[in-house]
Parts: sequence; structure tokens; C-alpha cells
Amino acid sequence: MRLDSIAKVIRSKNAGPCLLTLDLMLPDEASFAYVAERAGALRRQVARRYGRSENEVAVLPFKPALAVKITLPRDVVSGDVGDRDVYGAQQHAPLLEIEL
Amino acid sequence: MTAVARVFDDFARARRPLRSLGASGQLGYGIPTPAFEAGLARAPDMIGVDMGSIDIGPAYLGGGQMAPTRVGAKRDLRKVLRAARRLDVPLIVGSAGSAGARPHLDQTLDIIREIAREDGLSFRMAVVAADVPRAIKQAIAAARVRPMDTMPALTDQDVDAASHIVGQLGLEAFRRALEADVDVVVLGRACDTGIFASMPDMLGFPAGISMHMAKIVECASLCCVPGGRDTILGVLDDDGFELESMAPNRAATPSSVAAHSLYEQADPYEIREPGGRADLRDVTYRALDARRTRVEGATFEPAERPTLKLEGAQMIGHRALLLAGAADPRFIARHGEIFAQVTRVVHDLVCEDTPEDYRLSFRLFGVDGVRAWNEPPAHLPREGFVMGECIAPTPARAEEVVRTAKQYLLHHGYEGRLATAGNLAFPFTPPEVTIGEAYRFNVFHLMEVDDMAQMFPVEVENL
Repeated sequence: MRLDSIAKVIRSKNAGPCLLTLDLMLPDEASFAYVAERAGALRRQVARRYGRSENEVAVLPFKPALAVKITLPRDVVSGDVGDRDVYGAQQHAPLLEIEL
Repeated sequence: MTAVARVFDDFARARRPLRSLGASGQLGYGIPTPAFEAGLARAPDMIGVDMGSIDIGPAYLGGGQMAPTRVGAKRDLRKVLRAARRLDVPLIVGSAGSAGARPHLDQTLDIIREIAREDGLSFRMAVVAADVPRAIKQAIAAARVRPMDTMPALTDQDVDAASHIVGQLGLEAFRRALEADVDVVVLGRACDTGIFASMPDMLGFPAGISMHMAKIVECASLCCVPGGRDTILGVLDDDGFELESMAPNRAATPSSVAAHSLYEQADPYEIREPGGRADLRDVTYRALDARRTRVEGATFEPAERPTLKLEGAQMIGHRALLLAGAADPRFIARHGEIFAQVTRVVHDLVCEDTPEDYRLSFRLFGVDGVRAWNEPPAHLPREGFVMGECIAPTPARAEEVVRTAKQYLLHHGYEGRLATAGNLAFPFTPPEVTIGEAYRFNVFHLMEVDDMAQMFPVEVENL
């Protein structure tokens, strides 16, 4: 299943100037469990699509909000030379097409 | 009696829940009046506003500028100041002027004094500046500074290069300001939690729960569905807190409040402060009704040693831009090599008798403006937006490079070109703009501090 067909929110933002944090919010417990059980595969795919090694990507299921949080380093520190998204609010796009 | 003394006097007579009003998470961009007035009608014990964030990038910290306009900041400060004086409750302002360094703090204080004068308000104000003295070099030498996340180790050169370095003041700084027996508290760069956790701390409410409430309330109604900037009321007791948006169309539900822990945080299970961390692992969220949620269960672990999060920005030059469009499919398809060729052409022209002292880059929005994608797009767009950017030691040099780039990008003869009259559509002329100083974060580190009170003293002013 493609993430954009199961999640109700897929978003990105800075977590401090060095990190990008991506939130997947799922609509119900079943879809949350589906994604949380596949955290390893999700981590691999995120690493590949964002050009990072797997050990730089953290995937953390957060049951209280039926959400899965993904945190990884930004390519460029926020606002530094060559940055393209100071707030990091449009870096979720590669997530949309991930198949789990 | 001051507003702070009045609250403590009241609690000394009878202990009761504390009512905190989160008026705005981004002061200066407007505080919707209906929800704010509804909040004031609920007899809050304090009003808190956050003005700042590091997410807005390095230019504000480095350049000493506020992110909102002075007019916007004054309008909002007037609203909260008048309300706090009308109700005679403490007003607590954190991260003054967006980035919270001395120039931001001074601009904020200047506005507050102006409002007091114009509106005939009199009050006692405590101020704590967040600027970190250059003595941090001693801390570097003593290995008491360590990098955050992906930053390199801090050097003396970084310290010298930074135009401003601030520390995120914690709860204890707010507390010292409140203890100065005042009506209004204004801090430079500060942890947003300190705004709403400091009065609970002084009144003896449990630290974990207080900090959790503070973290939510400082964003106003962002924790609701639909999320928004309307004022929120947080009511704290010894076992938990209750959240209610003051806008009737916004609901604080268990899932919307829980989801707020994710926002701009790497770890949704903890909140870090200089003095320790709140652990959210055992938190429960319970609906009181359709619009109110009760939250319980956060615990607090004090830090072994207080640490201060440092933020600093250095100037890296002056920025000039070229703004143009393109609609030629051949240009769009070959933009990568065209940009590289023109960059070389420009270099040969502007560096004949000067070194390459600038950085010139181009992006084609529609293809690679927002991300440096790993793979090319499946389809190229019909149109694209071309942005050329130069960072150079002087505005004149940046402009020279960008104007030269405009001319040669316009007329560059690339392979397969059909449109020999020009490669770019200018929406207006001149299509080049100089946009001022460019900055980068060169400090984002943690420093151990023995004596916060000595480093960040409280100044008191009677208005």
C-alpha cells in the first residue's frame, strides 16, 4: 500500500536546524499497526529515497496519536548556503509514494 | 501589590487549580480578538506569549531583526499588555523579538515602553537578556560545550564570527524574573515551556505535568482540531491539566492533543529543558467533553548538570537574486548543463582581475527548486521558475555577478537551441534584486553552566 493512500497526514518540518522530522498520522488502529509493524521496511525506504544511510534514520511509532515519526539529518543546516527549504515544510514529498 | 504577588497571595490563602492563558504562539502575526476576549472572561491567573523560534532561520538572529513587523508586534503586545493590566495578572513574554538576542529584546522593550506611555499604563517589569558572554571560549577550552545533532565541534573562531549568540533560558530564569515581584516578565531567547511552567513551579505543582502543559499551551490552539492560533486556556491541578480552546470551532481532543507532541520534535516522548526533561511515556489523554481534554501522567527527571542550548549566527555575505521564468522545453530539459556553463562564463568575466570571492547557483523551480532529488522527474514541466542566487562579500559584488549572470543566461547558446532571441521570461525589470545580508547558523550547541543567575541577571524597570 502507498503511504499517501493510508495516512491522513503526511508532513515534514525541522526539529531544530539540523534535523528533519516527518510525521505519518494514521486514521485508525489497524492502519497504525500495519505501518508500525513495517517500521524496518519503512526505515530502509526512507533512507534510500532521502539519500541517507539507515542508521541515520529513526522510525518511532507513537501510539497515543496513531502516528509514526521519522527523523533524519537535513542535507544542509536550515538556512545555510544551498538550503532549499528553511522550515523543512515541503520535504515530505518523497514519502508519499513509498509502498509498504 | 504587584500582579505576581497577588497570585501568590491568593494561593497562600487557598490552594486551587492554576488557570493559564496561552494568548499566542507567534506574537506579532495577530491575536484573534473573539477567542482572546473569551479567554479573559475565564479569569486567568496569567497570560503568556511566545515570540520566537529557531525555525525561522539564521537571518533574524544574525541580523538583529524581528520576524514580524514592528507594527504587528506592537499591535499584539498592546493587546496582551492592556488585558494583563486590566485583569491585574502577570504577563510573561518569551523569546522577545523572535530570535531573542539583545537587539530583539531592545526592540521589544522599546515597543512596550511606547505602549505604556501612549496608553497610560504603569507596571513593574523584569527583563532577562539571553545573550551569552564571549566567556564561552573558556567553556570550550574546558570541554564543557558539545555539538547538537549534526553540528561540528564549536571553535573560538565560530564564537568570534557569530554576530549574536544566545542561550535558551530555562524555567529558572523565568522564576528569578517572577521572584523580582513584578507585573510583566520579558525574556530574551527562552525555552517556550518556561513561559507557562515557571508559575506552576513556584506554586509547587508537579514539574512533569506543568512542563507538559506549558509545551502545549505555548502554541495556543495548535493542539486542536482544526488547529489554529486562537487563545487556549490550560487549567492545572496536582494530578493533571485540562485544555480548552477559547475559539468555539476548535476542539482539544485526546488524539489532537497527543498529536501535538509530534510537532517540530524529534522525540514525542520527551520535552527537554536546561534543568531536566519531562517524560511523556505514561501520559493519558481523556476527553472531558467534545471540546476539552484532560491530560495526566508526565514525570520529570532533573538534569545532573544544567545545560544551556546555544544558538548563534554568522554573516556570510550579501545576497542578490535573479528572478525569471522559462517555457522552452529544450531549455528546461538541459537546465543543469546550461546553468553549469553559464556559471563558468560568468566566472571568466567577473574574475579576470579578482579572485572568485562569491558563490553563484541556479535552481529551476518545477524541477529541483525545493529538493535536490535523487532521480530526475518522470515528466518535465511546461514552465519553470529560474532563480539565480549569489552570495558575495559586498552588495555591489553580488549585484555585479547576478547582473552578468542574467545577461549570459538570457543569451546562452546551448546545444539544440531553437529560441535564439532569449532563454528567459522576465516578469518585470530589473529582474535582479539585492536582498541584504546572508547568515548561517554556526552555533547550535549545548554548554554546561554552573551559575545561570550570574550569567543571566534580572533587570527590573518601573514603568
